Amino acid sequence: MDLRNKKIIVTGGTGGIGKAVVQRLLDEGAIVGVFDIDLDGTNKLMESHHNLYGRLCDVSDSEQVKTSVNEFFCQFKTIDILINNAAFIYNSPLISLTKEGIRQHPIDMWNKVIATDLNSVFFMTLYVVEKMILTRTKGVIVNVSSIAAAGNAGQSAYSAAKAGVNGLTITWAKELSLFGIRVAGIAPGFTKTDTTLRSMNESVLNEWIKKVPLKRLGAPEEIAEGILFILRNDFCNGKILELDGGLRI
Amino acid sequence: MEDELKAIMADVLNIQKDKITYDISMDNCDTWDSLKHMELIVAIEQRFKITFTADEIVTMTNFAELKRLLKKRRDVSDGS
Repeated sequence: MDLRNKKIIVTGGTGGIGKAVVQRLLDEGAIVGVFDIDLDGTNKLMESHHNLYGRLCDVSDSEQVKTSVNEFFCQFKTIDILINNAAFIYNSPLISLTKEGIRQHPIDMWNKVIATDLNSVFFMTLYVVEKMILTRTKGVIVNVSSIAAAGNAGQSAYSAAKAGVNGLTITWAKELSLFGIRVAGIAPGFTKTDTTLRSMNESVLNEWIKKVPLKRLGAPEEIAEGILFILRNDFCNGKILELDGGLRI
Repeated sequence: MEDELKAIMADVLNIQKDKITYDISMDNCDTWDSLKHMELIVAIEQRFKITFTADEIVTMTNFAELKRLLKKRRDVSDGS
């Protein structure tokens, strides 16, 4: 697929992997819509890129998603590609035994992670694919998953959400191929983003780095290149590309 | 056209061609569910090189309506 002039929506496009993907897509000549809750980040991107459409949107809210997708579609008349990247990480064991006593995984944080990381993927894809089918657009959906989908101690909600994303990816690949719509996922390992650095302390992160055969974190730009591979390769469908420096060998 | 339409329906719905009667519909054909319906639409569009509208797709849930709208579309593409 040639990405020039393609109309592409990236959720969570103001930071980390999302920002790197947005930059690469713009470099390729695409027209990129960024749906994000970060107003300042979205405004900054819009100031520096004329081919970028910024939209303040909480993708865990189905009504906001519906309105935002409709407005993007009305303006650009087509949607060729959707990259479901927005995510929220929360780390907690199911049960913590501390000096203060027993602490349970907070249910509100479970709900927030599932809403942001799983429901958002369903909502965005639901409304975008409807447009693709009605306009007979042979589009592509890329879901940003995680190696945590295989299960990661201390990440019940995140692991469950990303496993759900993998299930949706495979289901939709089977369901939407009929329309010429491809669906694939990418599962980054530990990547050098603000979210990763915020979500764990340095010693824990260093322990993880030791387990990676390449002994380093991935760069957001390397994950972005993986997403571009999926977009360009018209035979890539229904698979989750793991980019983790060999962590899961 | 009718014969080709029946052949496509038989193939997509996985039933014998002689079972495709004028009365067959999503209501009385077990294999004609919503997923198969979209598969059927895409197969017809590809075969006859036409595109149905969303409003047409949701109404063409029986053979009679499929045939009527297919004829209408083909007439439009032929310019007649």
